[in-house]
Amino acid sequence: MLKYLLVVLARDATSFCHYEAGGRRRGGADLIPLDRLEAAVLFALKNNLKVNFLYPGRRLGRAYDKLVESVDHVKIAPFAARSSHPGAILVVESSAVPGAADLAGLRGENFILRLRRADLPLLAAALKRLLPRAKRVNVVLADVAGCGEAEYAEYRRQLEKIMPEVLKLSARPDPPELNVLTDRPALGRMNNCEAGLAHLTVGPNGRLYLCPAFFYADPRQSLGEIGGEIAIGNRRLLELKYAPICRICDAYQCRRCVFLNRALTLELNTPSAEQCRLAHVEREASRLYLGRLRESGAGEGLADIPEIAYQDPFDAAVEKKMSIADFKKL
Amino acid sequence: MSSAKNDPVKIETDRSWEAGRSKNVTFVVTEDCQLRCRYCYMVGKNKAGRLKFDVARRAIDYLLGARDLVTEPSVVWDFIGGEPFLEVELIDRICDYFKLRAYELDHPWFDRYRFSFSTNGLLYNDARVQRYIAKNSSHLSVQITVDGTRAKHDLQRVYPDGRGSYDDVARNIPRWLEQFPKSSTKVTVSSDDIPRIKESVLHLWGLGIKEVNINVVFEDVWKPGDDERFEAQLVALADETIDRRLYETRSCSFFSKTIGLPYADNNNWCGAGRMLAVDHRGNFYPCVRFLGFSLQKRPALTVGNCFDGLDRNRLRPFLTLDMVTQSPEECVDCDVAAGCAWCQGANYDFAETRTIFQRSVAICRMHKARVRANNYFWNKLGRKLGRDLRAEPQGGEGAGPC
Ligand code: SF4
Ligand code: SF4
Repeated sequence: MLKYLLVVLARDATSFCHYEAGGRRRGGADLIPLDRLEAAVLFALKNNLKVNFLYPGRRLGRAYDKLVESVDHVKIAPFAARSSHPGAILVVESSAVPGAADLAGLRGENFILRLRRADLPLLAAALKRLLPRAKRVNVVLADVAGCGEAEYAEYRRQLEKIMPEVLKLSARPDPPELNVLTDRPALGRMNNCEAGLAHLTVGPNGRLYLCPAFFYADPRQSLGEIGGEIAIGNRRLLELKYAPICRICDAYQCRRCVFLNRALTLELNTPSAEQCRLAHVEREASRLYLGRLRESGAGEGLADIPEIAYQDPFDAAVEKKMSIADFKKL
Repeated sequence: MSSAKNDPVKIETDRSWEAGRSKNVTFVVTEDCQLRCRYCYMVGKNKAGRLKFDVARRAIDYLLGARDLVTEPSVVWDFIGGEPFLEVELIDRICDYFKLRAYELDHPWFDRYRFSFSTNGLLYNDARVQRYIAKNSSHLSVQITVDGTRAKHDLQRVYPDGRGSYDDVARNIPRWLEQFPKSSTKVTVSSDDIPRIKESVLHLWGLGIKEVNINVVFEDVWKPGDDERFEAQLVALADETIDRRLYETRSCSFFSKTIGLPYADNNNWCGAGRMLAVDHRGNFYPCVRFLGFSLQKRPALTVGNCFDGLDRNRLRPFLTLDMVTQSPEECVDCDVAAGCAWCQGANYDFAETRTIFQRSVAICRMHKARVRANNYFWNKLGRKLGRDLRAEPQGGEGAGPC
C-alpha cells in the first residue's frame, strides 16, 4: 500500500540512497515547477501520503516553503544546510564527515551516512562521531556496483570495530539506532525499501518515478503524470513473493533495492551479488552484535539470528527451487 | 481388448545426448543463408555477421578455463546460422582447436563432447561437408530441417526468388539417414500449417525420418478455431498411427505420456542462461533467441563476452528462474499444465516490460487442444494393446462419480 511520496525539489537535491543526484544546470529550470509541487502536495493530501521532501543545499524561496508546509512531511537535506531545515534528516557524505565543532550542539538527529567504497576504512570513525549525536544513523553505500572480496572484508572489519561503541550507547535511555547493526535483531520479517509499492517519487520535472534513482538514470522511465493513471508494468515483480532470491532470504534489514537490481541484473526482482554479499555482511555483524548484547545482559525479547552456511542467498536459491506448494503459501 | 502386452511403443521421443547434464554452447557462425524462410526469426540475413576463428578461439579458451562457473561434465557445441555448413571450413578449425585445447588442459570435456548442427541440408553432399562428417562422425549429430510434405515445406522454406527448396533438400535425405540413422527433424507449426500437420508427419516418417520433433510457434499468431482444427489434425494423426502400427517404430513429440497433468515441479521450461550462444562479436547470450536478430521488440540481451567473461549478475535471473515466478496464476493452477512450453526469449520479447519474468501464454488454447488429442491417443492405443498407457496423476484421484 502506498504510504509515502518522495518529492525531489531540485535536480541537485541531495541523494539519500544508492544513486548520484544531478548537478545544477546553467540557466535554471532545476527546481520542480511550482504547479507540479502543488499537484504533488494535493496528491499526497488526497491519498493520505506522508511526504519526504529532498532538498538541495540552497534556499528555494517563500512560495516553495509555503507549499511544503501545507502537508505532513519530513525534510531530507544535506548536512551543510542543517540550519535552514531544523528537524530534517541530514545527509552526510563520507568524503565530508563533519568535525566535532560542526556536530557540537546537535542531539537526537537522524543522519544518513552516504558511504563511498573508497571511504570504507573510515566507516567506524565516522560512525563514532555521528552516533552519540544521533537518534538514528542509516549507512548507505553509494557505489555498490563492483564491490568485491576486499570491500566485503573491510566492511565486516569496520562493523566489528564500531560494535563496542554501539553496545556502549545501547545502555543509554535513548540508544541510537544504526540500521546495519541494530535493525536486523529487531525485525521478524522483511523491511525493505519497497519503491513503487510503499512509495512513489515525484522528480524535479514533476513526473512520477519508482524512486529518485530511476529519474536520474533515465528521466524517460517515468510512471506518468501526477494525478494521471500510474503505469507500473509488471508491478508484481516489485513484490517479495515474485523475487526468487529475496523471498527465501532473512537479511531483513536489506533495502532490497530494485534500482540496483535493475541496473546490475537487468531485472527488478533479482539482486546482484554485491547487494546480497553486503547485506549478509550486515546480517552476520548483526548476529555477532546480538550475541554481545545478550552477553551484556540486554537484548531481551529479540529473536535469534540463525547461523547460515551461505554468504549469498543466490546459492541457496539455485540449490533448491521453492516448491509450488510453498510459493502458494506466501 | 487385445492382450498384446509386449507390443513395442516407440512413439515418445528419445532424450537427447546427456540431456540436462551437458553445457550447450551455440556458435552463430554466420548470419548468411541460401534460403529466406518466411518464418525465420533471423530477418536481416547478411554476409558481414561471420564468426572469426579468433573470436571462437577466445570463447573456447574462456569456457575451458572458467571451471568454477562452467561446471557441466560434458559439452554440446551447436553450430547454427544462418546456414552453418556455409562455414564448414571455419567450423572444422574451431572443432580441431577445441579438441586440442581440451586435450592439452586434460579437461573433462576432452572425451565428453558433441558437435551438433541444425542445417537446411542444401550443402549436405558438398565434398567439404562430407569430409568434415567423416572426420567427426563419432561425435556428431546433424539435424536437417524438412517441414513435411513438399507443399508445406515450400510454403515457407524458399529461396530469395521465392522458389521452394523441398526437392533440393529431399535429394540429400537418403545419404543423411544412411550416415545418421537415428536422426530426427524439427517441425514448427504456425496457424497456416495446421491443415497439413497429419500429412506432414506421415510424410516425414515415410521418408525414413523416425523421430519428428514438432511444436507450435510461441508467437501470438493463433486465430479463432485454430485449436479445434489443430486437435482434429492430431486426432487424425493418432488414428493413422495406431491403425498402421506406426507407434512401434516412429516417434512424434506431439504424443507424450508426461503431458496434460498439473505441474509436478517448479522448474523453468528451458535452459536459457545455462546454455550459451556466442556471436561474431564474441558476445555471450543466454541462448540464441536473445541475439538482436532473433528479437522483434526488445534489444539484445548479453550475459558477458569472451574477452571479459560471463557477467555473473546478469546470469542470476536466468539461474533462479522458475515456473511460478513468471507464470500467471491460471497457469500455476492449471489442471493440464505439464508439457505446456514457453520460450524465455519469446517471453522477453513479448513482455509488457523489459523482463524475462512474464510468461507469454499465447499457446494456451493450442496446448489444451494437444492435451485432448494426446489423451485420445493414449486411451485408444491402451485399449488396443490391453494396457493402461495413461500417465498416473499425482496425488489422490478422488472417489469418482459413482
Ligand atoms: S529503490 Fe529504494 S533503495 Fe534503491 S535507490 Fe531507490 S529508494 Fe534507494
Ligand atoms: S540480501 Fe539479497 S536476497 Fe536478501 S533481501 Fe537483500 S537483495 Fe534480497
